[in-house]
Amino acid sequence: MPYILEAKALTKHYGTSIALESVDFQINDGITGLLGPNGAGKSTTIKLFLGLIRPTSGSAEVFSKRPYESVESRSLLGYMPEHNCLPSSVTAAEFLTHMAQVSGIPPAHARTRAADILRHVGLNEERYRSIGEYSTGMKQRVKLAQALVHDPLIVLLDEPTAGLDPGGREEMLALVKRTGREFGISILLSSHFMGDVESICDRIIVLEGGCITKDGDVSLFTQETKTLDIDVDDHIEELLAALSKRSIAAIMDGLSVVVETESEEQYDAIRDAIVESGARLRRLAPRRHKLNDIFRMAPNE
Amino acid sequence: MSEPQGEVFDLRYRHYEGPREGRMRARKAIWINGVRTSLGINRGWGPKTPPILLFIAVMAPAVVISIMAVAAGNLEGLPSHDTYYEIISTLLVIFSAIIAPELLCSDRRDGVINLYLVRPLSPTDYVIGRWLAFLSVTLALAYLGQIVLFTGFVLAAEEPANYLRDNWLNVPRFLLAGLVVAIFTTTIPLTVSAFTTRRAYAAAFVIGLFIISVPVAGILTLCEEGRQLPIEPCRPPTGESAKWFALISLPDVPIHVNDLIFPEENSSEFAQLVAKLPSIIPITWYLLLTIGPGFVLWRRYSSISI
Repeated sequence: MPYILEAKALTKHYGTSIALESVDFQINDGITGLLGPNGAGKSTTIKLFLGLIRPTSGSAEVFSKRPYESVESRSLLGYMPEHNCLPSSVTAAEFLTHMAQVSGIPPAHARTRAADILRHVGLNEERYRSIGEYSTGMKQRVKLAQALVHDPLIVLLDEPTAGLDPGGREEMLALVKRTGREFGISILLSSHFMGDVESICDRIIVLEGGCITKDGDVSLFTQETKTLDIDVDDHIEELLAALSKRSIAAIMDGLSVVVETESEEQYDAIRDAIVESGARLRRLAPRRHKLNDIFRMAPNE
Repeated sequence: MSEPQGEVFDLRYRHYEGPREGRMRARKAIWINGVRTSLGINRGWGPKTPPILLFIAVMAPAVVISIMAVAAGNLEGLPSHDTYYEIISTLLVIFSAIIAPELLCSDRRDGVINLYLVRPLSPTDYVIGRWLAFLSVTLALAYLGQIVLFTGFVLAAEEPANYLRDNWLNVPRFLLAGLVVAIFTTTIPLTVSAFTTRRAYAAAFVIGLFIISVPVAGILTLCEEGRQLPIEPCRPPTGESAKWFALISLPDVPIHVNDLIFPEENSSEFAQLVAKLPSIIPITWYLLLTIGPGFVLWRRYSSISI
C-alpha cells in the first residue's frame, strides 16, 4: 500500500540558497502538522507536493505519483492557501461548483457536492451571497470548502488560522479537526502557530533550515520532563529550607517551587521535606514539554 | 402498526463516488467559465452592463443596414459583407479591450489562479481555455452581425432564392474573415492583460495602442509623399514606402486579410496602399501579430509561479 504522501531525499535549492535538504518522511492517515519558523521550508514542501515546482533532487510523491510529472494526480489533493484566493463577485455556491468541475467532477454532481460541502463548513444559509460580502472567518471556510469539494485523499492547509481573531481561530481549528476525524480526509497542516498544531495534530514534523529536526507523535513532544512543580498553600520558606537541608536545589517560579529531579529516589526526599515543613500540598507533578520549547525563538502568537 | 411520523436524513459527510472526468472536464470548465465571465452571466448588473452595451453597439450597424435594406427594397449603395468587419473593427477592439482583461486580470488579482494551478490543469490548459473562451465570444459577435446582415439582404431582395444562389459564397467568406478578425481581437488584448492585474490599465493600453497606430500610420504615409502637414485636401499618398507604413494601423491588420478573402475592392486609403503589396505580406504581418503575442501569452503563463 503506497503512502498518501512520501518525500524521498527531497531537496530543493533556489540558486545558492537551500530551501530543503534531503528530507525523508511519509504521511498516511490522520492530521500531521508541519511546524517551523518562517523560512524553514514548509511552503516549499507544500509546493513540491502540489507539483508547482520541481525538486532539485529526490522526489515528492502523492500515492506513488509525482504531481510535477502527472497533472492528473493533483485531483487526489486539496489545497488551502494562506493568502486570499477567492473572487469577490460570485456566490460561494457558484464558486465551489466551478472549482469542483475544474477538479474533474461533472456539472450535476459538482452542484450537489458544492451544496454538501458548504453545509459541512457551516455556510449553508449564506451560500447564495457574494463572497465579497463575507467576513474573514467565512472566507476561510470557503477556502477550506474549495479544498474539500472534490473529496481529495489529503488536504494541504497552509496557515489556516492566519488573520483570524481568537474566536474564529477556535472555530477553524474545530472544523479542521472534524475534517480529519469525521470526514476521514488526511491533513497536512503547515503552521508556525504552535498552539494550533498542538491542539489538533496527531503527528508533528518539525522543519528548521530545510531539514527535519524532529518527527513523531504529539505525545512525544509533550512528554514529561525531569522538572517537578510543587504547589503549596503556605510555609514556602520552610519548604525551601527543608529541601536545601536534603541537598535538593529548588527555585521559585511564580507561586510554584520548582525542582530539577535527577532520580526517582529524590521523590521520597521531597515528600519528607514537605512533611517536615508543615506546608499544605496542593499539587506535585512533573512538568510536560510544550511545543514552544522546540524553538529557541519566541513563537509569533 | 402506525404510519411513520417523520424521516431521519443522514447528514454526515459522504465521500464522492460519482464519475471523475479528469483534465478534459477541467479544461471545459475553464472555457465555460471564461465565456460566462466575459458576458457577465450570473453576475450583478455591474459586470453585466459593459458587455451588454458593447454587444448592442457592435450589433447596431448590422441591424441598421438590414433595416435600411428591407425598407428600401434594394441593396444599392449599402455596405455589404465585405466591408462589415471594417465598419465594426474599432467597436470590436473596444469590446475586446474592455472585456478581455476580466478573464485574466481578475484571476491573478484575486489569487484564484493559485487554486486553478493545483488542480488537474496545467498553465497551458488554463491559458488556452481562457483564449478559446474569449475567441468564442468575439467570434459569436462577429458572425451574429453578418448573419443579421445576410438575413436582411435575403429579405430585401426581390427574389430571395436568386439572391441566395448568387451570393451563397459570401457565407464561407464571412465565416473565414470573421475567424481572422476574432483571433486578432482576442489575442492582443489577452496578451496585454497577462502583464497587469488592473483591468483598467490593460483596457487603456490596448485602446491607446490601436488608436495611436492609426494616425501614426496616416502621418507616415503622408510624409512619405513629401507633403507638409496639415494635409488638406487629402490625396492618397503615392510614395514607395507608404504602402508599408499603411500596415502600422493595427485595426486594419485583419481587414487587409479580409480584403483578400472578398473579391470586392476596398476603397479605403490604407487598403488601397496595402493592395499594392504582394498578398503574402499582409497575411504574414497578420500572422506575426497574432502568433507573436500568442506565444508571449503562453510563455507568460507557462513560467508563472504562485
